[in-house]
Amino acid sequence: MNLQDAQVRVVSAGEYVLGTLTPSERATFEAQLRTDRELQAEVYAWQDRFLNFHAHTAPMAVRPELWSRIARRLGAGHPPVAMAPAANDPIWRRTRFWQVVSGLAVAASVVMGTVLVTTRQPDSIVVSARYLAVLQAPDRSTAWVVEAVAGGDVRLVPVGTMPAVPAGKAMEFWTKPEGAAGPTSLGLVQAGQTYVVPASRLPGLGQRQLFELTMEPATGSPIGRPTGPILAVGKAVAL
Amino acid sequence: MSLDFDHDAALEACARGEQFALQAIYERESRWLLSVAMRIVRNRELAHDVLQDAFVQIWQRAGTYQRALGSGRGWIYTIVRHRALDEARRAERETPMGDELTELIDSTATHTDTGPDLDDAALQYCLSQLDDDKRQCVVDAYLEGYTHEQIAQRRNRPVGTIKSWVRRGLLALKECLT
Repeated sequence: MNLQDAQVRVVSAGEYVLGTLTPSERATFEAQLRTDRELQAEVYAWQDRFLNFHAHTAPMAVRPELWSRIARRLGAGHPPVAMAPAANDPIWRRTRFWQVVSGLAVAASVVMGTVLVTTRQPDSIVVSARYLAVLQAPDRSTAWVVEAVAGGDVRLVPVGTMPAVPAGKAMEFWTKPEGAAGPTSLGLVQAGQTYVVPASRLPGLGQRQLFELTMEPATGSPIGRPTGPILAVGKAVAL
Repeated sequence: MSLDFDHDAALEACARGEQFALQAIYERESRWLLSVAMRIVRNRELAHDVLQDAFVQIWQRAGTYQRALGSGRGWIYTIVRHRALDEARRAERETPMGDELTELIDSTATHTDTGPDLDDAALQYCLSQLDDDKRQCVVDAYLEGYTHEQIAQRRNRPVGTIKSWVRRGLLALKECLT
C-alpha cells in the first residue's frame, strides 16, 4: 500500500471506512492516519459520503437497560482525551439541548430553594446532607450553581451565557470549608461547561462552605491559591 | 426526530466530559445505530454489545473528533460500524443471509418517525451510474459488512476481481459525489 500515491490514498481511505482493508493494511493505514491530516480529511469525507446509505435504515427497539450499562462504564469527570479545539463554540450553547440543561439547573435551584424554606427533614430519618451554592459574578451578570451531596460528586453548572475566557487565561474553581486555613483548587473550568469534581478531591463539605471561580493563567494558579480577580463567588446552604 | 440536533457540538461536549451530551446522542441515534450493527453482526444480543462498546468508544475518543474535517454524525456511524465489523470478524460466524432480518422491523416505529433525516439522492444517483458488479460490491461491503473474500464467495468470483471492482467503484463514486 503506497500511501504517497494520490489514488491509493483515496481508495485506501474509502476501504478503511468501508472496513475492507486486511488487518495488516489497516495497521499500515492507521499508522499513517495518526499524523497525516490530509488523509484524515479523506476519511471524514468518505464517512460523510457513506452516511447517506443509512437514509432508509429502519430503527430497532433498543433494550431499555442498555443506557445504564453504558453510563456505568463512563466513570465520573472527563474522558482521558485531548480537548477539542472548538470546545467553547457558541453554537453548542445556542442549541436547544443546552438551553434545556441550563433550564433544568435553574429549575433545580428554584425547587431546592423552595424545599429549603418550606420543609424540614424529620429527625429520625438519616439522609446524606445536600448542599447548594449559587455563585454570582460581582456585577451579577453571570451565575453558576454548585450542587453537592455529602460523600458524592460536586457538580458546577453554568446558568445563562458565559463571557469567553481571554486567550492565555483559565477559570479556576476553588472551595474553602468554613474555618479552613485556605482554599483548595478543584481544577480548571471551561466557560459554559458543567464540571464534575469527585468527592475524593474535596477538602470537606459543609454549611457556609465557600466556592469561587477566579481568573488565572492558562495552566492554573502558579502558587496554589487564587491570584486573579474573582469571577463568581457563593456559599453553600444545606438543603 | 428533530432536524436540528447538532452532533458535532454534542461530540465536543462529550470531549469536555458532559455525559448529558452522550446521552442526547444515544437518545437521538441508538435505534438506528442498533439496526446498523444488527445488519452486520446478525444477532440481537451481539448487536447490543456492539452498541454498548461503541458508545464507550465515542465517549473516550470524542476529543479526537475534528469538526473542520467532517460531520460528527458520520464519525459516530463509523465507530459503530467498525466495532460491529470487528465483532463480526472475531466471531467469524457464517450466518446465512436473511437470518433474523425480520427483527430489523421495529415494532415501536410509527408513521411519525421521519427516519434519520438523511438525503441519499446524490448517493443513489451515483451508485446507479456504476455497473451492477461494482455497485453491489460497495453496497455489500458497506451495509452487510462483508470482506472481499465473503463477497467473492457469494458472487463466485476471484478475490482479485472483487478487490478491483471495489477500488474502481470507490474512485467512480468519489468522482461523482465531489
